Amino acid sequence: MNFELSRLKINAKFQFFIGAAIILFFFKFFIPSSENTVSLIINELLVGITIASFIFFLMEWIHIKKVNPLSLVMNIGILTALIFFFIIFSNPLLGELSSRTQSAPLRFDLIYSLVSFIYSTIILGSVSYIFLAFRELYFLKQKRNVSTYFNTMVVFIILSSYSTLLQQNPDLLYIKDTFFIITILLVILNSIKISWIAFIIKKEKKILLFLSIIIAVLFVLNLAGNSDSSTNYQILTKFSPAFLQFLKINMIYGAIYFSILFFTTLFHIPTAEAFDRKAQEVSSLQYFSKLITEVFDFDDLVDTIAEIASKVSSADASWIAWKDNDVLKSIGNKSIGFLDADLLTTYAKDTKKNIEVSGTEFLALEKFQKKLQLSEPFYFISFSPLKMHNEAKGFLFTARKNNFAFDDEDKNALDTFSDYASVAIENSHLFEESIVKERLEKELDLAREVQRKILPAKNPDYKDLNISSVFIPAFEVGGDYYDFFEIDSDNFGFVIADVSGKGISAAFIMAEVKGIFESLSKTIRSPKEILVKANEILQRTLDRKSFVSAAYGLIDLKNETLKISRAGHCPVLLIRNNIAENMKPSGIGLGLNFTEHFANTLEELKIDLEENDTIVLYTDGITEAKNKNLEDFGSGLFEKILLENCDRNADEISNKVIHEVTLFSQNNPQHDDITLVILKWKQILKNDGEKEWQNSVLQLKT
Amino acid sequence: MAEFSTSTKDVGEVSVIYLQGYLDAHTAPALENTFSNLVEKGKYQTVVNFKELAYISSAGLGVFMAFIEKMRENNGDIKLSSMNDKVFNIFDLLGFPLLYEIYKTEDEAINKYIESKNLEK
Repeated sequence: MNFELSRLKINAKFQFFIGAAIILFFFKFFIPSSENTVSLIINELLVGITIASFIFFLMEWIHIKKVNPLSLVMNIGILTALIFFFIIFSNPLLGELSSRTQSAPLRFDLIYSLVSFIYSTIILGSVSYIFLAFRELYFLKQKRNVSTYFNTMVVFIILSSYSTLLQQNPDLLYIKDTFFIITILLVILNSIKISWIAFIIKKEKKILLFLSIIIAVLFVLNLAGNSDSSTNYQILTKFSPAFLQFLKINMIYGAIYFSILFFTTLFHIPTAEAFDRKAQEVSSLQYFSKLITEVFDFDDLVDTIAEIASKVSSADASWIAWKDNDVLKSIGNKSIGFLDADLLTTYAKDTKKNIEVSGTEFLALEKFQKKLQLSEPFYFISFSPLKMHNEAKGFLFTARKNNFAFDDEDKNALDTFSDYASVAIENSHLFEESIVKERLEKELDLAREVQRKILPAKNPDYKDLNISSVFIPAFEVGGDYYDFFEIDSDNFGFVIADVSGKGISAAFIMAEVKGIFESLSKTIRSPKEILVKANEILQRTLDRKSFVSAAYGLIDLKNETLKISRAGHCPVLLIRNNIAENMKPSGIGLGLNFTEHFANTLEELKIDLEENDTIVLYTDGITEAKNKNLEDFGSGLFEKILLENCDRNADEISNKVIHEVTLFSQNNPQHDDITLVILKWKQILKNDGEKEWQNSVLQLKT
Repeated sequence: MAEFSTSTKDVGEVSVIYLQGYLDAHTAPALENTFSNLVEKGKYQTVVNFKELAYISSAGLGVFMAFIEKMRENNGDIKLSSMNDKVFNIFDLLGFPLLYEIYKTEDEAINKYIESKNLEK
């Protein structure tokens, strides 16, 4: 919308300018030499309007483009040169034409009118642009509102130009001179304020120094070439004396402005470098602080850090010495090979006692013995610690090939920069960690899913045997496994196992263990034999670090017996007559030993079951459940709870146990799977006592 | 979790490894490193002192399984000593006393090496 509007404005202004120019042309065409005052004034007004409309059009146009002081200066230079050539070549080329009309002033000469009009219009356009460029340069980078000074000057330029109308009358000539002098004073005043010089870089300043002297000379030459006898003067006097005055003032303005510009630039050159560097530091730091939030890939980040470090410290090469297993390795090398970088890192390390530094340090390489081994000559290096959690995890190195030592400013810049770099690196690490963590969580989800599918979906139902099982997975899957085998109508097998290790690897071993027990339980009755066979099978797949603790039991429902063998697992508890008995036949964990020693040490226990016997299978997730003081739940408390609740049914007992464990370990995360299986043999419901009590109440009532 | 650390001391030809803190799946690699270093140096006669160890998980136990064969193949051993009751209970349940020599004190374990050396002579 805005853009459209400004386009429209430009078009309108351009049309206005064209209109003014055409009217001027026809006026000139029909009234070629105006001797009377009225036509003279009309002529001057028309020229003024044309110039003004052209300047207004250009102003809009120039604002749409980005204003670059150097290109403005260039434009002024080109147009001044154009005017210069016009003035020089007007003498030989147009001289004769001009003198011919002068000799016969009243004769109408079409060619002369046309040529002089075009000539004047081109000069008019150029001067208008030059004036506008002065205006732009004047307002460039001005912090305060200084338009009053410039506007006053504009008013006096106009007054001075139009005062040429009075020159026919010699008595009034002083008015023209007065305006002219005031205008020149204002021009000088306004030329002194050149504030944009400081903001251009050193290289541009050098170009500007060169340009300004040439342009200043051109302006002076134009001024000199504009003498009364020159053809240019002749043509423009005819065209418009006021415009000639305007041209003169502009040439003076240019000469003064560019002379002052030349000296200003000259004085700015020595400080240009410092100014440039400060500006670069600021922009580098800005760039980098943005980077911190954006770059998360460690390698990319290291590259960028090294690159900016070079710029910040005006160094020729940079790299990061990163601690990898306590060895400093160079990464992100910029303009330096890793061999050189390693040599210099080692030198810094040897010189500064393992470079335990708190801030940026500098080192001259004068005494560096292996200097000749470097593929390129370096004279100075700097190194700054990159700290994570107050520990230097690496060092940011920069190196200079020239003979200029690092100074305090470099130190400040590198100190600040290395702090930023440390934060950025830490961020990228945290980001990476969170990705790894997420992946791990996904993996654990999968492991828990596997585990859930491996465990029995529901408990078998027997007349004489009441079964309850609880399984609570830990966040990191612990590898607990239990299973029931309804072998035939008389035999019921059960197993509980705990795979060493955690996570997905434990889940896979668990799946394998399930397969082994499922197939073995179908063919072998003896728990001992099953465990011996399971150990043999596991030898093929278990690595040396892994093992499985397991307990396998077989209940003969008909003969009311229990056989049990234990391979490294927690004891099986038998609660009978209010006494908790640890059934702990000897046996080594599966996968710990593959010799006959395993079978030799494995015992099988056989007991006759009695009414109300409670058999408790569990994993160490229960006894090792921890409270916030990291104390164990312990087997003592476990047995106590079992004994207190032993006359309840299996579900009630296990609920009670889990309730107590949860209470105990609240506020402390669960580290291992919890598995609890309770088998209750022939429970006699003690409803008698309750009835007796009810009876007594009834008796009391009657 | 609480931290875990190991330190090693040479007593004659025997290397004694001291364990401290919590040995579980997360800290087990530290102990693996210690054993690997001993194997690299050709020190196969080791005693592990459990006096300062508060807890050991199944992954921690796995470390001993990983190195016992290597040690025994090279005329060495991993002898365990100075366990508190809780840690011993974990070893005991898994049947480690049937596989490893476990001693009350570090000196007993070291002496065992010296005795067997004397016997060889």
